[in-house]
Amino acid sequence: MLICENLSFSIDGHKLFSNINLNIENQKDLLITGPSGIGKTTLLSILCGLQKPTEGKVLYDDINLYNLVENKIDYFRGDKLGIVFQNFNLINAFTIKQNLELAKTTQGSGDKNLYDLLQRVGLADKSHIKVSKLSVGEKQRLAVARAFIGNPKWIFCDEPTSSLDDKNAEIISQFIKDESIRCKASLILITHDKRVQSILNFSQTLKLGEEL
Amino acid sequence: MIVGMTIITVSILVTQITKNTFNKNNPNLDVVVGAKGSPLQLILSTIHHIDIPTGNISYKNALNIIKHPAIRSGTPISLGDNFQNFRIVGTSKNILKLYNANLKVGKVWEKPMQSIIGYNVANYTQLKMNKFFVGSHGLIDTGDVHAEQPYKVVGILNKTGTILDNLILTSLGSVWRLHSNETNSKTVNSNSKLEVTALLLKYKNKSSVFSFPRLINKNTNMQAASPSYEISKLFKLTGDAHMIVNYLSILIISLSFIGILFSLLNNINDRKYDLAILRTLGFTKRRVFSLILIEGMSISLLGSIFGIIIGCTTYISVQHFSLIGRNMISLQFDFVFNLFAVWLIVMVASFLTCLIPCIKVYKQNIRSILLNS
Repeated sequence: MLICENLSFSIDGHKLFSNINLNIENQKDLLITGPSGIGKTTLLSILCGLQKPTEGKVLYDDINLYNLVENKIDYFRGDKLGIVFQNFNLINAFTIKQNLELAKTTQGSGDKNLYDLLQRVGLADKSHIKVSKLSVGEKQRLAVARAFIGNPKWIFCDEPTSSLDDKNAEIISQFIKDESIRCKASLILITHDKRVQSILNFSQTLKLGEEL
Repeated sequence: MIVGMTIITVSILVTQITKNTFNKNNPNLDVVVGAKGSPLQLILSTIHHIDIPTGNISYKNALNIIKHPAIRSGTPISLGDNFQNFRIVGTSKNILKLYNANLKVGKVWEKPMQSIIGYNVANYTQLKMNKFFVGSHGLIDTGDVHAEQPYKVVGILNKTGTILDNLILTSLGSVWRLHSNETNSKTVNSNSKLEVTALLLKYKNKSSVFSFPRLINKNTNMQAASPSYEISKLFKLTGDAHMIVNYLSILIISLSFIGILFSLLNNINDRKYDLAILRTLGFTKRRVFSLILIEGMSISLLGSIFGIIIGCTTYISVQHFSLIGRNMISLQFDFVFNLFAVWLIVMVASFLTCLIPCIKVYKQNIRSILLNS
């Protein structure tokens, strides 16, 4: 269970958001929406242990994330979380395969077949191509595949289909849905994309800038 | 790093092995008596065989010195010829006792023009038992040979780890016979006309250490020189040069540390986004710290090991191919400790240098790096 208590975040004295309370049960999903610049990505970073909130707590099954030392937060992130960043955060100098293998070293996917994963996102024939040579859409599909390389219990996706055409948006949305079910993971997703929302049925929606 | 370690390795090897060689070459001799001139030259030429002698002294006088009450034992040596750059030394059989040398095969000379050869001479020249060879005039092979009177090999010495390994020993009579025409001495057997290069002496007791050399230096046309004093003087003279070489290599190594430091800092700057990605994937701060440390230490480790290998190879090549090098005792391992100590210091300094970029990475705020990228 993921619980957020009174989460607030300020930059240079300017309050981005305040008193956000969330309670996401295991295998339940949350959709985060809101206007641009309201702090959706920042909230996601806070939930992933990448940005300490100004106030409030983030609890994963009674583990208070920001009470952990930074090394343990890093370890927890690698072990339990799968993240798709808005700007993908891939290593450009590495190939598709190398990016996945790198993630595999911390996320211990065990018997998960990289080729199978890549085939499902339509990148199997490009596994030896460097990320810098990929199109934006291909990078986005790779970023999604990488988030599921382990067996994450919480998946965080920031606009995972923003650069995809309709066909690929549908494939990736279905992939996220299937993998979340397979991993028995909770999905926390930021999107304005109706194509995604039509495939993934969210049990909760957080509209930043409005009341929950 | 490679250049610095190469220089420091050669410097250590030269210093340590030269010291060892000088120590081992001297079989606890107290004093050497020879013709007047540079005392250091006398010692280098008659004990270490790396210089030309100062001249000759009368054999008759040499015999009188051996009989002096202060002297326990005396070994005359007579230089002048070589075979393939290995010196032919006319001497008495006492020299074998002096160096604790044993024959591997054969026997000690009994007749003129018989010789025994050192271990390295046998290996380098392929001279074998009962083979004949002709000496070349002078101490370096000039091609001007004594073809009319060849030497016969009657014995080969076991390895002694001293200069004896590089010498061809024969009787004084053989040397006199070979040079009887040059000295225009018709009577080889007349002691008054005969000459030797030097006398290697041991005192009966150490109380003669001051009085005996004074006696020789003041009252005769010869000089007495102390091997240990002259060699320590030599090391004092060369010590400054070694120090400069060592400072130079320390400077080069320090520069290489600065190079490694800036290279790592630049790498980190170029790859800070990639390192932040590693953290988002679950690489802990400690693990990223270790990755940078391993990268830096690998550069230092490989650089220093290559430097040591190149340094040792350079030294061994010089030792093998040069005349002076041949007189160095091979297979010494005393330098290993010194080399290891220097390497350890370099590694510790390297580690401390690498910590700077590692700490920088450790303190990085990944969120701001990801945002700024």
